[in-house]
Amino acid sequence: MSIGKEEVVHVARLAELAVSEAELQKLADQLSRIVDFVAELNEVPADTSAPPFQAGPAMTPLREDIVSPVPLARGPGSFAPVFIDGFFVVPRLGPMEEE
Amino acid sequence: MSSGEGEKRGGGDETARETGARLAAAESLNATLHWSQEALNAEGSRVDAMQQAGVLHAVPIALKDNIVTTGQPSTCASKILAGYTSPFNATVVDRLRRAGAMIAAKANMDEFAMGSSTEHSAYGRVKNPIDHDRVPGGSSGGSAALVAAGVVPVALGSETGGSVRQPASFCGVVGVKPSYGRVSRYGLVAFGSSLDCISVFGDTVLNASRVLSVISGHDPLEATSVREAPIALPAMRKDLKGITIGLPREYFPADLHPGVKAATDRAIATMRELGATFREVSLPHSKYAVPTYYIVAPAEAAANLARFDGVRYGPRHIEPPDGDVRALYQTTRGTGFGPEVRRRILVGTYVLSAGYYDSYYNKAQQLRAQIAHDFRAVFADGVDYLFTPTTPTPAFRAGEKSEDPVAMYLADIFVCAVSLAGLPAMSLPIGRDAGLPIGGQIIAPYFQEPGMLAVASAVEGVVDATAEVRG
Repeated sequence: MSIGKEEVVHVARLAELAVSEAELQKLADQLSRIVDFVAELNEVPADTSAPPFQAGPAMTPLREDIVSPVPLARGPGSFAPVFIDGFFVVPRLGPMEEE
Repeated sequence: MSSGEGEKRGGGDETARETGARLAAAESLNATLHWSQEALNAEGSRVDAMQQAGVLHAVPIALKDNIVTTGQPSTCASKILAGYTSPFNATVVDRLRRAGAMIAAKANMDEFAMGSSTEHSAYGRVKNPIDHDRVPGGSSGGSAALVAAGVVPVALGSETGGSVRQPASFCGVVGVKPSYGRVSRYGLVAFGSSLDCISVFGDTVLNASRVLSVISGHDPLEATSVREAPIALPAMRKDLKGITIGLPREYFPADLHPGVKAATDRAIATMRELGATFREVSLPHSKYAVPTYYIVAPAEAAANLARFDGVRYGPRHIEPPDGDVRALYQTTRGTGFGPEVRRRILVGTYVLSAGYYDSYYNKAQQLRAQIAHDFRAVFADGVDYLFTPTTPTPAFRAGEKSEDPVAMYLADIFVCAVSLAGLPAMSLPIGRDAGLPIGGQIIAPYFQEPGMLAVASAVEGVVDATAEVRG
């Protein structure tokens, strides 16, 4: 099992992560090493006898439906790259689906 | 560290001065990302003005830089959050300050808590105070180094897969991971949400316990916070009579590092002298803990780190400059995240992608259930606690594992399973080999932190943690 450069490009696009042509081979090698390692799990026979693990409380506790905002020490304008008139400003939207 | 509670006490200004001097003297460790004498002085004056001294009155504490504070930046040691200062404090920060603690510094860490050596910080590696050529462990290496160097008596780190116990072992300090959900994650920058636990370093078991007693307890701001009382200070005990401790055979392989083996053998002999009964047990799925973890954690990280996209926080990069919003996302993330974070986002995205979800992510969830079940079965069979080495070797040399990510992952082989099962566990210094600290790990059933800490305090009182274990 190995991950090729094309697969790295595909996954990087899904992750919205720019990768340069120069680093593709190294990334492909490293990801292959990691994925081959975790694929060890496939040697374990399927066994669903243990109850599914759930982190935290068995049921998400609900709280009363009362708005109680946490007071903020500073507004989003202090840390957002571009924040104008109460809006986070982004560049134009492009096509979000692959052709 | 003082223990007085109730009576008004001064000392904040003096603590601020002394802590500042120690922080300045320890700069060569590169263990801090943000601190200033002015901020320390303000903390000193604040605690001196408090009407009543809390349980942590005038105790300086360092916080891992993924725990957000309004008073200092919180960067997670990443360029993608360079200059970011949170508009709110983490719940643990508010609780610490109310108890009189002084926030002394934000500690260096592996970027976004991803790493086992604190070599993956965008701001340079942290040195192990015991041997500067070696790593302090990670990802909470800065916090561990500050306690080991005597700069602060206590520090907060975070665990996703052993990131406090492992550096505690490498640096020779106490490191305690509470049960999942016992300490609020509100204000901890999320990495693997089903695993993340704010955890504590201390110079002693008692000091770590004091911090835990302050930061634990239900928090309505956090949905996975359990409705349990805060962790009580343990009844410090001098013997271990009536306690059964399991030794899982999978954690004592034939090729275990001889120094680690000698230290754990000595600790076991000491606990036996204190009256504990030992029993060999098996946790058969533990050997799959690391691969399971490296599917679950990256998958959750890939989702959690999607929020760092150049829209709301941190510096923005876009190439080409007139590109659309996807160009903004891709360039900001491609530029801002370091190599290990990028690898884990890619692995996480891969194991969640169409065609691979079942064979990786679902399989890992099955294994996680079996790993948790192994622990439950052992504890249901009359074992009170488990004892293991914390790490397979003492601290390794800087650069030794940098080229092979999997070799680095295996440094967490004895700590990962506990994280997957959500159990409380801790590392306690139990000796040295060629000058390097070795930690022993105590694992407890859910919510049994006070008992675990009491066992640790008994061992701490008897074992000479600075003595060489091999002649």
